[in-house]
Amino acid sequence: MRSDVVRLYKVVHTWTGITAGMFLFIAFYAGSITVFAEPLARWSSSSAPVRLTALAQSDELIARTLAARPDAGKEFTLHLGETEDLWARLTWKKGKDDKTPWSADLSSAGDLRLAQSYRSSLADFVDNIHRTAGIPGANDIGETVMGVVSAVYAVALVSGLIVILPSLVKDLFALRIGPNLKRMWLDAHNVVGVVSLPFHIVIALSAVVFCLHEPLYDALDYVVYDGRLKSIMAASNPFTAIKKDEQPAPMLPVNVLLDRVKGASPSFVPVEMRYRNAGLRGASVQVWGYDTRYMTRGKGFAVISPVTGEIANTDYLPGREGTWTGIVATFFALHFATFGGDVVRVCYFLLGIAGAFLFYSGNLLWIESRRRTERRHGGPVNQKTSTRMMSAATVGVCLGAICAISITIVAEKWLGGRVANIDVWRNAIYYCVFLGSVLWSFLRGAAAASVELLWLAAIAAAAIPLTTLTGWTSPALGMQGSASMAALGVDLVALFAALCFVWMARSAARRAEYGPADSVWAAPQRQLREAAR
Amino acid sequence: MKEIRPDWISKTLAGAILGFSLALALAGLFAWLGPGGLATPNKFQLVMWLISPIWLTTMSLSFLFTSGMRAWLCLGGANLAAYAGLFACRHFIH
Repeated sequence: MRSDVVRLYKVVHTWTGITAGMFLFIAFYAGSITVFAEPLARWSSSSAPVRLTALAQSDELIARTLAARPDAGKEFTLHLGETEDLWARLTWKKGKDDKTPWSADLSSAGDLRLAQSYRSSLADFVDNIHRTAGIPGANDIGETVMGVVSAVYAVALVSGLIVILPSLVKDLFALRIGPNLKRMWLDAHNVVGVVSLPFHIVIALSAVVFCLHEPLYDALDYVVYDGRLKSIMAASNPFTAIKKDEQPAPMLPVNVLLDRVKGASPSFVPVEMRYRNAGLRGASVQVWGYDTRYMTRGKGFAVISPVTGEIANTDYLPGREGTWTGIVATFFALHFATFGGDVVRVCYFLLGIAGAFLFYSGNLLWIESRRRTERRHGGPVNQKTSTRMMSAATVGVCLGAICAISITIVAEKWLGGRVANIDVWRNAIYYCVFLGSVLWSFLRGAAAASVELLWLAAIAAAAIPLTTLTGWTSPALGMQGSASMAALGVDLVALFAALCFVWMARSAARRAEYGPADSVWAAPQRQLREAAR
Repeated sequence: MKEIRPDWISKTLAGAILGFSLALALAGLFAWLGPGGLATPNKFQLVMWLISPIWLTTMSLSFLFTSGMRAWLCLGGANLAAYAGLFACRHFIH
């Protein structure tokens, strides 16, 4: 590698990294949590034990619901699971964004109970933070920005690789822990970056697609498909595989439909059935579920006719996809960790946290590089405004997002069922903590704020298992958590995170007190003394 | 060997704009000439997925051009060739 190429790409890496770094930190931290969205949903689910209608009574439940509420027939969902985040066996809503779905269940006496309730999920909130990095406004604004950020991130990856290539063998397995802190951070940044490079490439390229697919399709339609893309998409739509037919027709029992799907793919585990136009000859059921043996887009599904029992579409049924949806499902799986079960999920969680570390350490290196050049002048140093600002922003944004997410999770348990509109509360809490942290960091300076915000992060993370404990020891509060391993896992991870934050807070405090005084990380009074020297 | 001029702005723009249009055209060529032709159901998804790797690889490597001018000339030429092929497809294949 020519040295001028390396020099050039060092500049590219610096500026792409510094622009995208903090957005990506938030996206990666929240994304790691999103990998375990289901356990989080189960952790935050309401304590009131819901007795779901027995699965064996599903057909009766469907028939009686349709008799009482014919409007439900247009589209309703039968939930097949037994986990605590389900609140009813059968639900329906008006449109995709309807937050007040109806639900139907059979009481133990055999009466049909219909209810409408406000539903909104904490896991979805964290997922939104992941997709938009918390950029407020309509989701598509945040996603468009993150699409551009992801493109910049891809360039940062390639340039980082080019920069390290010449010294790859020498530097990769060297972690020089010692007095030269910048060297140590650089070694850590390099080893994490190189080892997780394939993961980062996959995430960057797929994130660009997820964020920008609509404009990309528009561009393709205009340039390549000559306006025919809409009709090609319609012809590919799995939901229209069954032709419209408004004649009334009896439907096959749930068991029979599930058996048919099992026949098509024995390892597929169905979790919900989405009925459309129930009771008509043109009715369809999408049987959604998981299959850990394949790389899937998340949940996969088969479309089956509840009237004839014929499977109408398997384009999205794991292992039975066609060539094209099969290839694309692999890309989805590589982003969402929807393959290989829990082992892969744990790996993705760790890779995500490692990614967040990568961006944080990148910013630290930027600050540290600028500091070194100032030292050459000799005599007392007063750190540049740019490094002060960048260090304050890095600390405020990164630690602020960590604190904000933890506190929002804790608040969910305390507020759930007690406030009318939990969405408003979630947003208020997240942005207050986040913006408060950023402001705090600029007011106090990076050195002091990093210690204080790390303590806040530790307390906020510890509050998650403490909330669970309080719920169990004070049943009067009505927030007993679920006793499932999934929910307990959230508490254990939070507890471990709290311990990590305590360790980091203590290290940061030590650095502020005893580290070099000519640094943005030295305690403010020591920096002042240094400047007046 | 010739020295590489930084030419940040012109190279970045060449990579971002011409890299994107090149990716679009190459994905389009795959749509027309790849297995199954243009209208095969569900193929359009993979076609769309092809854009980001081509675009971002081009953009990342465009700083290797010895100058911004060369970046525009080379990527412009590649674009011309790709779009000539694409419009030939649109014209001759139905």
